[in-house]
Amino acid sequence: MPGKARKRFRVSRVSTYFILIIFLAPVMWEPVCAQEHGAELFDKIGTQSVIPLDAWIDTGIDWIAITFMDFFDTITLIITKINTGILTALQFIPIYVPKIANTPVALPVLAVLIIPYLWWVASLWTGLFGFAGLWFTANLGLWPQTLETFSLTLTAAFIALLLGIPAGIFAGKSDLVENIVRPILDFMQTLPVFVYLIPAVILFGLGAAPGVVATVIFALPPAVRLTNLGIREVPGELVEAGEAFGCTYLKLLFKVQLPMARPSIMAGVNQTIMLSLSMVVIAALIGAGGLGSEVVRSIQRMLVGKGFVAGIAVVFVAIILDRSTRTIGQRQ
Amino acid sequence: MAAIGAQHVYKIFGEKPEIALDLLEQGKSKAEVQQETGLVTGVQDVSFELDSGDLFVIMGLSGSGKSTLLRCINRLVEPTRGQIYLEIDQKRVEITSLSRKALRDVREKQIAMIFQHFALFPYRTVISNVTFGLEIQGVGKKERTRKGREVLELVGLGGWARAYPSQLSGGMQQRVGLARALANEAEVLLMDEPFSALDPLIKVNMQDELLKLREKVRRTVLFVTHDLDEALKIGDRIAIMEDGQIIQSGTPEEIIVNPRTEYVAKFVEHADASGVLTAGTIAKVLTVNSNMSVNVDTQVTGTEPKLFAEELDITYCLSEDGRPLGCIKDGKTFPIRTLGENPETVDVKDVFIAAGADIPLRQIMDIRLNTSENPIIIVSKNGVFKGIISTHEILRGLLEKGRKDIQHKDNTRESGE
Repeated sequence: MPGKARKRFRVSRVSTYFILIIFLAPVMWEPVCAQEHGAELFDKIGTQSVIPLDAWIDTGIDWIAITFMDFFDTITLIITKINTGILTALQFIPIYVPKIANTPVALPVLAVLIIPYLWWVASLWTGLFGFAGLWFTANLGLWPQTLETFSLTLTAAFIALLLGIPAGIFAGKSDLVENIVRPILDFMQTLPVFVYLIPAVILFGLGAAPGVVATVIFALPPAVRLTNLGIREVPGELVEAGEAFGCTYLKLLFKVQLPMARPSIMAGVNQTIMLSLSMVVIAALIGAGGLGSEVVRSIQRMLVGKGFVAGIAVVFVAIILDRSTRTIGQRQ
Repeated sequence: MAAIGAQHVYKIFGEKPEIALDLLEQGKSKAEVQQETGLVTGVQDVSFELDSGDLFVIMGLSGSGKSTLLRCINRLVEPTRGQIYLEIDQKRVEITSLSRKALRDVREKQIAMIFQHFALFPYRTVISNVTFGLEIQGVGKKERTRKGREVLELVGLGGWARAYPSQLSGGMQQRVGLARALANEAEVLLMDEPFSALDPLIKVNMQDELLKLREKVRRTVLFVTHDLDEALKIGDRIAIMEDGQIIQSGTPEEIIVNPRTEYVAKFVEHADASGVLTAGTIAKVLTVNSNMSVNVDTQVTGTEPKLFAEELDITYCLSEDGRPLGCIKDGKTFPIRTLGENPETVDVKDVFIAAGADIPLRQIMDIRLNTSENPIIIVSKNGVFKGIISTHEILRGLLEKGRKDIQHKDNTRESGE
């Protein structure tokens, strides 16, 4: 039998029939079934849980929570420490309240400090926008919450990158690791976010820690994926050049692959930070605090205006975080 | 002892290559093996041996396995079977049986490589690219920079050390690639179609540069190309590959004059032979006889000629040991001026020119253009008369590439394809 081409053609034909049958069978069988059993059959199908997966998961989570209690307590402690550390540092930057026309106006020093930074990484206009955004949120009366959101986001992004970039490197270096990691990432990205808020509360209690954990799960995949992609997209000839000059595994990684993958990795960093922010807002549902808790409170009390104000503050934080990290990868 | 060599090297791509090796040993072709097993033969039973300082060109079309063979030498591609060996400090080191660590050592210091698309690191400056190999070896920064500048000077990029590769043209980028390979002071250079990505004019410049560079720094070079003219121009020896095998190897002239297979002949057909064919190959050999009665003006020839050769209406007078003394045309005796290997332009109309048998056809054409209509006398290295070249021989040399024995191919087979 000549070659592989013939075989592949056959497989594709079989799969075509298979797909046709799957789609056509219900259509053809529907009238037959309806005649024999009446419509109620279709109402019953699929509403009873034959496989008690929910019960199994409950038992599993309970077992994990009890068995690894010390472990989760330690993690909670570490996360809380990082978060309060960043928050304290941010709160340490003073905020002036000069009176303009007898009205006290808040002028956070952070808003001033961000101008030269954004000017450096982006443009002067971005710097001025950053100042305006922070000044605005401070005068909406949301300054403490804004700082909390910043610290939660940075904590989660920091942990996500700490785990995600090395995982991406391993996946980029080994097909086996990539094949293991990819379905896990797919699972993490497609599982509805509210679903893992529940076990997070059970394992890490209420407050910042479960919020950060849920955020890390949500924000980790792009860091892994883009690091993996960056390493895999290094031109073969460059890898060969590195090897031809006698690079070891690690030298090849640090002198050729990582520098070449830098723009892609930095895009992953940016994505991770942005996803962290969006999840941190949702994590307010389990008491993570910050601007998100303002939004949650507004929903509960039907306060349209307050909700919008908090939402706009989130947008400002988002734009500032994005502009601060977006161009880093493109700099030579 | 050879500087580098290969013995019966095979490369089979795919799983369980032993099956393919067995089939190949039974005499099956690459295509048959692929049909039966799905395994692709990259390199099949290749052996060669290079002396120190040789420039060996591996020539073939894409898919002929030439790049794979090159990568087998520093084991970027692991050979399936066979040995590759290298002479290091008068000792024979078998590359194919080295440990990973020892192999890295050889790659660091003995074998450097140059790539088709330059493979420069875009995030590094030119000097930092050039010293990459030294950096891997752990050479100190000061020493690295010194060596890097020295090599950049050598390839004519002295002023570009701080530029980035993207700021350079293609030709300049490949000079950086060349400098990077030279900086390691490796004995063997592997060049994988180094000039194929360049514009034709720059390509020719780079070939000249390479030849010039070889006079300054003598390295053993393995040069892969798909361009026959390039191979003929720069190669000391050429190996022609087809389907993973070397089907002919030899000097450029041997390949032009005696193509061993139809495949090689087809290649060679359109090659520019004028730089490869030597005067000795295309010269018309004349019979020399001793008894001839001619009127010789001994004032021109110096001594009494003892041997004579005749062609058309010209008589060539030779001394007893075969050296040309003068020519007689229309009853008049002309003197002979011998040119060395690099002839200056001659505008003298009333002399005959003698040239060495080893000078290329292109120079003969040059001489012909700048002198009289008279045939050029060809002498061997020790000055003995070999034959003559007139316009007729030059044209025939260009058209038939010196293959006097090869008949023109029968047209029926050509049209049948």
